Amino acid sequence: MSYQILGNDYFRKDGIGKVTGREVYASDVTLPRMWHARVLRSPHAHARIKSIDARAAQELGAVVLTYADVPHLKYNERIVSIPPHLYRDRTVLADKARHVGEAVAAVAAPTEQLAEKALRALQVEWEILPHYTDPLAAQRADAEPIHDSYILNGQEIPVENNVAVTRVVQVGDIEEGFAQADHIFEREFVTSRIYHAQMETKSCVCDPAPDGSITVYPTTQSIHNVRQLLGEIFSIPLHKVNVKRVAIGGTFGSSIQMNSIIPICVALALKAKRPVKLVSTREEDMYDHVRYQTKLKLKIGVTREGKITAGHMQALADIGGHNIQAYALLSVLAGWTASLYNYPNLKFEGKAVYTNKTPSCALQGFGNPQATFAAESLMDEIATELDWDPIEFKLKNYVGLGGTFWGQGPSVQSIVRSDGVPQLLHDGAQKIGWRARPKPGTQTGRYRHGIGMARGFHTSGAGAPKPGEVIDYSGAFIKINEDGSVDIVHAMMDHGGGTLEAIAKIVAEELGVPIERVGISPADTLTTVYDVVTHATRGVYAGGGAAHKAAVKVKQQIFDYASRILGLQADSLMIEPDYELMQGVIYCPNFPERRITLGALAKQLQVNSWGTLAAVESLRQVNCPPAYVTYFIDLTVDTETGQVTTNRAAIGSDCGTVVNPAMAIGQLEGGLSKGMGYALVEDNQWDAQTGQLTSKGFWIDGKTPAISEAPFVENIITHFANTYEPSGPFGAKGIGEAATNPCAAAYANALYNALDIRFTELPITAEKILSALAAQDERASRASDYLENKVVAVMQAAE
Amino acid sequence: MDKKTIHLTLNGEAREWRVYPNELLLNTLREQEFLTGTKYGCGIGECGACTVHVNGAPRLACLTLALACEGADILTIEGLARDGKLDAVQEAFLGQSAFQCGFCTSDMIMMTRALLNENPQPTETQVRDYLRGNLCRCTGYASIVRAALDAAEMERQETA
Repeated sequence: MSYQILGNDYFRKDGIGKVTGREVYASDVTLPRMWHARVLRSPHAHARIKSIDARAAQELGAVVLTYADVPHLKYNERIVSIPPHLYRDRTVLADKARHVGEAVAAVAAPTEQLAEKALRALQVEWEILPHYTDPLAAQRADAEPIHDSYILNGQEIPVENNVAVTRVVQVGDIEEGFAQADHIFEREFVTSRIYHAQMETKSCVCDPAPDGSITVYPTTQSIHNVRQLLGEIFSIPLHKVNVKRVAIGGTFGSSIQMNSIIPICVALALKAKRPVKLVSTREEDMYDHVRYQTKLKLKIGVTREGKITAGHMQALADIGGHNIQAYALLSVLAGWTASLYNYPNLKFEGKAVYTNKTPSCALQGFGNPQATFAAESLMDEIATELDWDPIEFKLKNYVGLGGTFWGQGPSVQSIVRSDGVPQLLHDGAQKIGWRARPKPGTQTGRYRHGIGMARGFHTSGAGAPKPGEVIDYSGAFIKINEDGSVDIVHAMMDHGGGTLEAIAKIVAEELGVPIERVGISPADTLTTVYDVVTHATRGVYAGGGAAHKAAVKVKQQIFDYASRILGLQADSLMIEPDYELMQGVIYCPNFPERRITLGALAKQLQVNSWGTLAAVESLRQVNCPPAYVTYFIDLTVDTETGQVTTNRAAIGSDCGTVVNPAMAIGQLEGGLSKGMGYALVEDNQWDAQTGQLTSKGFWIDGKTPAISEAPFVENIITHFANTYEPSGPFGAKGIGEAATNPCAAAYANALYNALDIRFTELPITAEKILSALAAQDERASRASDYLENKVVAVMQAAE
Repeated sequence: MDKKTIHLTLNGEAREWRVYPNELLLNTLREQEFLTGTKYGCGIGECGACTVHVNGAPRLACLTLALACEGADILTIEGLARDGKLDAVQEAFLGQSAFQCGFCTSDMIMMTRALLNENPQPTETQVRDYLRGNLCRCTGYASIVRAALDAAEMERQETA
C-alpha cells in the first residue's frame, strides 16, 4: 500500500523546540510568586514516625506539611486498572516509612536554599522497626507487617505475611500435559531491580487560584489520570483541576502512575496559597521507582517431535514498599508467557510480596522483559538439547497468525491477525550470519565469539472484545481552520518516540492535508477529552486509532458540505494535498474544474452559517495486536576480564505499517541500549543490614549504558516486516516496549553459544562470567582427573 | 553569605550577575537568566545534561561556580542559532531525528559543537570518544553519531 504522508520522514514538529533548548519540561516552569519545595525522606528502611517538630522550620518562614496536614485518603497512584482492581495502600505523606527515601514531610519556602535549611531544621523522632530486603524473610510468620491492610473496592483487607497479592491462571491440565511429554526442562531465572534512569527527575509545579482551583504542570504519562486522582485526594471538583501537558524527559513507565511528589507539591501550594515548584534530586528519584524484580521458575514439557505439551510458571515478585500494580503484573506475567508459545496446558502461580525497598512499577515492557528472558532462554536450551535449530523450534511452537494473544493478562485477549515473525527470523538470521555461528564448547582462546537469538513482542494497547480489567480509552478532537490547516486536540503524552508525530501523520493522510499544515495543539485536561495514559505500546495503535476515527468523521463532513457547494454527489468527491496551495483540495475526478480548497470550504461554512468542520471521537480498540520483535546478538567475551563486547546486533520489528521510519529505527536502537544494560550491567542493590540503596548514581555505583558500550552505527542492523495490521490505523500497530523485551535472552543465548554456559540470573556481569568460567574449568579438570584415575586403574587392572 | 557582582558575556551579550559565592552556574542560568535549555540531570557530573561552553570549551554547569565565570564567555544552547539560522549541528540533529525525549539534546548538541570546533572532520571513533561522558537513555546513541557526522559533512561542504 502506498501513502502520501505515512512512511515518510519529516522534521519532527517538536524538533525545533528540542534542538534550540526551548522545549518546556515541568522543571522549566516558573511562575510569579513561586516558592520552592523540598521533601523530607526517611533515612530508615522501616520506621514509625513518633513525632515531627516543625517549629524551627516554621520560624525560618517555611510552610511545613506532615502526615497530620494532608488528606488521609488511601489511594492507588495508577488508575489504569478498573476501580475494583485498585489496591490502595498509600497516602500523600506516609505515617510510617516503608523504605529508605519514603516521603514523610515536606516544606516550601521562597528559595530552594531556604527550603533546604527548613528541611534540615525538622526534628523527627523515629521508632525503628525490623526491615526486610528479601521477600522470603518478609514472609516469615514472625515478620513485622509492612502494611497492616490495604483498601480494595471499598473494603479494608488485612495483609497476611506481607503478601500483597497472589494470582493463579490455568489453561487445561498441566499434570496431563506433563504426562504426555517425553522431555521435561526446568530452570529458575532471577531478574534484577533496575532503575528507569530517565534523564529528567520527577518534577511538578502547582498554581492554586483564589477560587479553589489548581493548575498543575507535572512529569506524567497521563494528564487525565493525574487530574482524576488529585480531584479525589483533595476533594476538588474536576472542573477546577487543570493538568497541563508539558514535555517529559524520558519515562519508560516511571510516570504511568501519578508520581508521589505531585500530590505533595499540590498540598504545599494549597497551604502556601501560592505557586510551588518541586524538583526531585537524582537520588530522590532513585527512591521512587524501579523495575519489578522477579524469580521465575519455568518448567516446560515437550514431545519427542518437539511439540510443547505443558508449561508451568511460578513467579515471585519483590514489589518493594508499595503496591503500585502488582495484581496487573502477575496478570501480564501469565499473559506474556501464554502468548510467547502455544501451551495446550499452562499453569501460572504468582505471588507479589512487600519488602522495605523502593516500590516497583512498569519499566518498558511491564513484566515482559522478565517473562521473555525466562522463556527465550529455556526454549533455546530445549531446542539445543533436542538438536533443533532454535529458529525452527520456535517457529514450530510460537503463537502467531490465528493464535490467541493476551495483551494485558487473561482478561485482554484477541486473535492475531498480522504476523511478521517468519520473515523477521529469516531476515535477521541472514543479516547476522546465523548458520556460521560457532558450536558451543568448541572455543578455547582468551576471546570467544558467540551469536544468540531471541524473539518476543509487546502488545499494542490493552483493548480487547471483552471489557477487561484495565481501561484502554483515547479521545481526539479535530478541527479544520479557515486556511485549510488542521488542529489536533489530543491529551496523549509523547514520551519522545514520536507518538504525536504519528498521530499528525495519520490525520494528514486521512484528510489529504500536507503534514506541515497539521498542528498538535497544546493540551490540558480542561480542553481535551480523556486519554488513559501512554503505556502498553498503545500510542500509535490506540491514540492514533482515536484520531483516525475523528478524522474519518471530519472527512465525511467535508464531503457532505462540499457536495452542496460543488453540486456533486458527496460519494464522488476526493481530497488530496496540493503542495503549491499548501492545503487539501476537494475535487471530483470526473469534473476536475469543480474544486474547492479545504480552507475556502471552512470559511464558506461560516459565511453560510452551515456548521463547523470538527469532530470529537473516543475509541477503545477491540484488539491488542502483538508487535513482534526479533533479536540476533553477535558478541565477544574476554575470558580473562569477563568483559562482553557487542560486535553486531540485528533487530527486527513487526510494527505493521511503519508510520515514522527514522523514529521506528530510533526505538529499536534505543531498545538495544537499554536491553544490553538489563542483560549485562544494570542493577540496584540494597544493603540487607541497613536497608540502604547502595547504588546511588548513573555511573559510579550503578551503570547506565553510555555511547562506549553501543556497537558502531553500521553494526546495529534494523529491519522491518512487511505486514499490515487490519485493525490498526492504516495498518499500524506498536513498537516501543517491544524493542527491548527479548534483548536480555538474546545476550544470554549468545553467551551460551560462546562459552557453553547457561546464565539464568540478570545482570550477567563480568564477575558472574568469570566465576562461571572458573567453575567450568574446575569441572573440566575434575573430569580429566577422573578420567586419568580411571585410565590408571584400568591399566593397573590390566597389569 | 553576601552576593558578589561579576561581569561576563552570555550568548554574545554583556551581562552583570549578582551571585552567591556557592551558587552554581547551572542555577544562575536557569533561575536568573531563564535559560532552561541547560538541564539538571544528576547534579554530580555523571550525566552531562548541564553542558555549556565556557570560553569555547565544554563545561558541566552543575559543577561550575557562577563566581568562577568572571570575565568568561559563556555559550548555552539558546545562543547557538544565530540570526534566526540554526547551527549545522542543530540542523543535523533535526534531520536525523537524533533525539527522543529531548532532555539530553542540548548537551549532546553542545558537545558535538565543541568537538567539531576542535576537530572539524572526526571519525566515528572520535565522536564516540568525545561523547562518552554524556548519557542518553532514549536513542541508544546511534542517531546522535549519525547527526554528528552529518553536521561535519554539512560544514565541510559549506567551506569547500
